[in-house]
Amino acid sequence: MEREKVDATGLSCPLPVVKTREAMDRGATGLEVLVDNPVSRDNVARFAANRGARVEVREENGLFRVLIDMPVTEGAETRSIPGAQERENKTAVTAAGTVVVLSDDAMGRGERELGSLLVKAFLNTLSEGELLPQKVVLYNRGVLLAVEGADTVESLKRMEERGVQLLACGTCLNYFHLMEKLAVGTVSNMFEIIETLMGSEKVIVI
Amino acid sequence: MGPEDLKRILKLLPGQPADEVLVGLETPDDAGVFMLDENTALVQTVDFFTPVVDDPYLFGQIAAANSLSDIYAMGGTPISAMNIVCFPCNLDMEILAEILRGGSDKLHEAGVALLGGHTVDDQEPKYGMAVTGKVDPKRILRNRGARPGDLLVLTKPLGTGVLSTALKADFLSEDDIEEAMMGMCSLNENASQAALAGGARAGTDVTGFGLLGHLATMLPERGLGCELDHRSVPYYPRTREMAESGMVPGCAYRNRDFIEKRLVISGDLDELEVLLLCDPQTSGGMLLALPEDGLRGFREIMGPEGCFWVIGRFIEDPEGRIVLR
Repeated sequence: MEREKVDATGLSCPLPVVKTREAMDRGATGLEVLVDNPVSRDNVARFAANRGARVEVREENGLFRVLIDMPVTEGAETRSIPGAQERENKTAVTAAGTVVVLSDDAMGRGERELGSLLVKAFLNTLSEGELLPQKVVLYNRGVLLAVEGADTVESLKRMEERGVQLLACGTCLNYFHLMEKLAVGTVSNMFEIIETLMGSEKVIVI
Repeated sequence: MGPEDLKRILKLLPGQPADEVLVGLETPDDAGVFMLDENTALVQTVDFFTPVVDDPYLFGQIAAANSLSDIYAMGGTPISAMNIVCFPCNLDMEILAEILRGGSDKLHEAGVALLGGHTVDDQEPKYGMAVTGKVDPKRILRNRGARPGDLLVLTKPLGTGVLSTALKADFLSEDDIEEAMMGMCSLNENASQAALAGGARAGTDVTGFGLLGHLATMLPERGLGCELDHRSVPYYPRTREMAESGMVPGCAYRNRDFIEKRLVISGDLDELEVLLLCDPQTSGGMLLALPEDGLRGFREIMGPEGCFWVIGRFIEDPEGRIVLR
């Protein structure tokens, strides 16, 4: 679906939200709002989510692209594609048997700075997606993603709220002296981690 | 300006030379205090800002109540004021007259004499006052001085930052935020007197840095912390709804960043609730450290709970943190 583009760069709060609302009120069902600061990003995303939209945020060169898809309203698009109904329903589906392993606080090998941006985007996108893993296991530097101050905590919390079980390796937390700082998920042990991995159908290692 | 920037700039200024300066730039207090003799000290403050509501008469009252608040927050009594006005010369002068009438009516209510003022031509209107008050040097209500066990008391609901943003965005009309407007217009005079009667050990008023930012100014670097029960924090009607609709002002995020290092979140509150606790306030209430046995004396002047809210308690904490429950 083609999204209507709204350029809200150079504007400060509350104007980006005002422009987003104007576009929605004109009847736009898909929007791509471009903003240049985190305050506008959060406010626009919050506004759209509050209106029942599906929201995705992409960061590009210091700019934020907020992708908004409004739920299909009755009458307007009666020929809606099969499955649209489920997509509107905000309750998540966890893929039974799928386990995501976070073994590092970066995604991929090579550039660490890039890797940490990637893992943040990965978790954010995953947490807002339609299909979630049943469990997420964090070990080695992966536990750093779930401690106080990490910018990935919010995404992980969202997943937890949506029914994903988060297991953080206790040995690893102890190693980093961060046992007290775990902000999301439960402290786990090797026994439980092995049981989770062996009992899974699909393991995705980041 | 955000608290972090302000702190950096004030550091560049030379220190205070005079012994008579009882409260100066070194501490994050609401107003300066200069001792005249052992029984009397002058309290001085200045504050002005752009309109937060469309009604000029109301804006005048709010700006005046806000300027006077810094004197009350020091435990002082305001005595005289000077207007500070920025106004575009091509705008209807009737509007300016209404703003000034609002300010003057509020001063009259507070028993404060208007001595003069100064006007500058500017693109956007701004209004406020420089206010002088007096205070007993032995009874100055400083920001610092709370002790573990003291109650944390707030005397007005929060939410004016979010609501005035929503007003600017046309998400709400002035009729929708009447309660908040009345709140912003109301003087902190009573709260200040109640604080003195209850033997408050420290106090400030909640303005631009938000509740958590101002609470941080009540805590020294180490030793004293504060536990705050977020469920007992009062908000003006429709604040939460507007915040969910994307009406959180940028300053709330800056305030949030500033206190990040001192904040421990141990309750079931989401990020938006933390942001609301950082919402910058215009003419906000007083934030007090009240010993538990002072509550009765405080209540006698302030009225029953509902006219004020006990929202937390100061605790011993080596790292001087704010714990949200």
